Amino acid sequence: MKWLELLTVAGTTLVSAVTVVVLYSLGVRLTAIAGDAEQASPRAKRYFAYLCFGLCGLAVLFGLYLIIPYFSK
Amino acid sequence: MVALVIGLALFFDFTNGFHDTANAMATPIATGAIKPKTAVTLAAILNLVGAFLSTEVAKTVSGGIIREGSDGVQITPDIIFAGLMGAILWNMITWLKGVPSSSSHALFGGLIGAAIAGIGFNSVNLETLLQKVILPAVFAPLIAGLVAYLCTRLAYALTSRHDPDTGSKLTQKRGGFRTGQIFTSSLVALAHGTNDAQKTMGIITLVLISAGTQAPGSGPQLWVITACALAIAVGTYAGGWRIIRTMGSGLTEVKPAQGFAAETSTASAILASSHLGFALSTTQVASGSVIGSGMGRKGTTVRWNMVGKIALGWLFTLPAAGIVGALTALLVKTGVVGVAIAAVAGTAAVLFMFVYSRKSSVGHHNAVEVEEAGQAVRFAKKKALARARAKPSRQKDAAMADQQKDAQL
Repeated sequence: MKWLELLTVAGTTLVSAVTVVVLYSLGVRLTAIAGDAEQASPRAKRYFAYLCFGLCGLAVLFGLYLIIPYFSK
Repeated sequence: MVALVIGLALFFDFTNGFHDTANAMATPIATGAIKPKTAVTLAAILNLVGAFLSTEVAKTVSGGIIREGSDGVQITPDIIFAGLMGAILWNMITWLKGVPSSSSHALFGGLIGAAIAGIGFNSVNLETLLQKVILPAVFAPLIAGLVAYLCTRLAYALTSRHDPDTGSKLTQKRGGFRTGQIFTSSLVALAHGTNDAQKTMGIITLVLISAGTQAPGSGPQLWVITACALAIAVGTYAGGWRIIRTMGSGLTEVKPAQGFAAETSTASAILASSHLGFALSTTQVASGSVIGSGMGRKGTTVRWNMVGKIALGWLFTLPAAGIVGALTALLVKTGVVGVAIAAVAGTAAVLFMFVYSRKSSVGHHNAVEVEEAGQAVRFAKKKALARARAKPSRQKDAAMADQQKDAQL
């Protein structure tokens, strides 16, 4: 029985999904904070939000890079 | 016979496509992130792209359950024909009932039934069956559900905003998740393309090899890949609106943050599983994710009787497709007349179900009642604006409009 494979799949799923969701949620949160009226430095927070979205996108692209055989050969 | 089987395989690919549109697009349609028509178009294009991305899965998914090769039995186009018939008919029935059942299980069930009826019990490799079908069927929804649950909790925890002084709730501003859903659902559609189009490619290649027109052990040919990609894309575009309704609003009420979490879990689970050699069913992963995300948000109820209905559908998929496959195999065994009878009966059944479905049409216009919700929001916003104009305290009303928007998210 392929229990090891099952565990690998479960682990990979958990790690990748949590990475994407956490990064994106941080981005959403920072955008929300930057939108508040009484903020000290909304611009910096907005940039951090973009950074989070960017990292999230990179994580997805990295995942695709690993999967598509065209790149890994 | 070979041409007939290839045609049938492509039709199976088509049903697979419209059966599984829901996996990717039910949640964004339900939350209003994408318009229904746009959603199916996007899903169709990404399925097409996904089908071309990788053919690694084609060999591993369908192989091994029926003993092939020198020490086992020779699998013939007849058996595959019967198996496909079972798979297609079961796909049509579940679509008519709006049950998101696994297309791969239908295919496996049909092939197994056909092999048992056509060759005998010893033709089925029980250990591989357990390992490739039964175990994944148990674990796919569990893994996906658990991950989606955790992700939903995380997403809500990270974006919940309270006033540090008073502790009262601020406007949450979770609108960003709606945009994010467009990307995550696209990812699911892509994953579906890489995963499910492969099965048909595998089948057609198997037929070509068994007919002796292709060398054993070689991968799918380019025209096979293209035809499968097109068939699944067209199927996806046709859209299984009945199943979208079940997945989008039948299981639980989906909000953008939940949808985002569910889609991310679905995409990661499918991609991880199909590339680490433990293939999971797309449909079961997606259903598990939606249920998990439903449990993850406070104040959401999961409709467990609907979940039970779907689980029952999953239980029946393998044997039901198997029985149809077996019956067809028995018919085909009798010769050319049997094949003709099977083909005509199958076509008639499909046509009948199609005509029957017209009676209570479920289309993009009424798949999920999100349109109404969208209008309600706009209405409320207009009202808030009118009030803002009437009253001097503009800011307070703007905040109220914000909160109303929040209530939708």
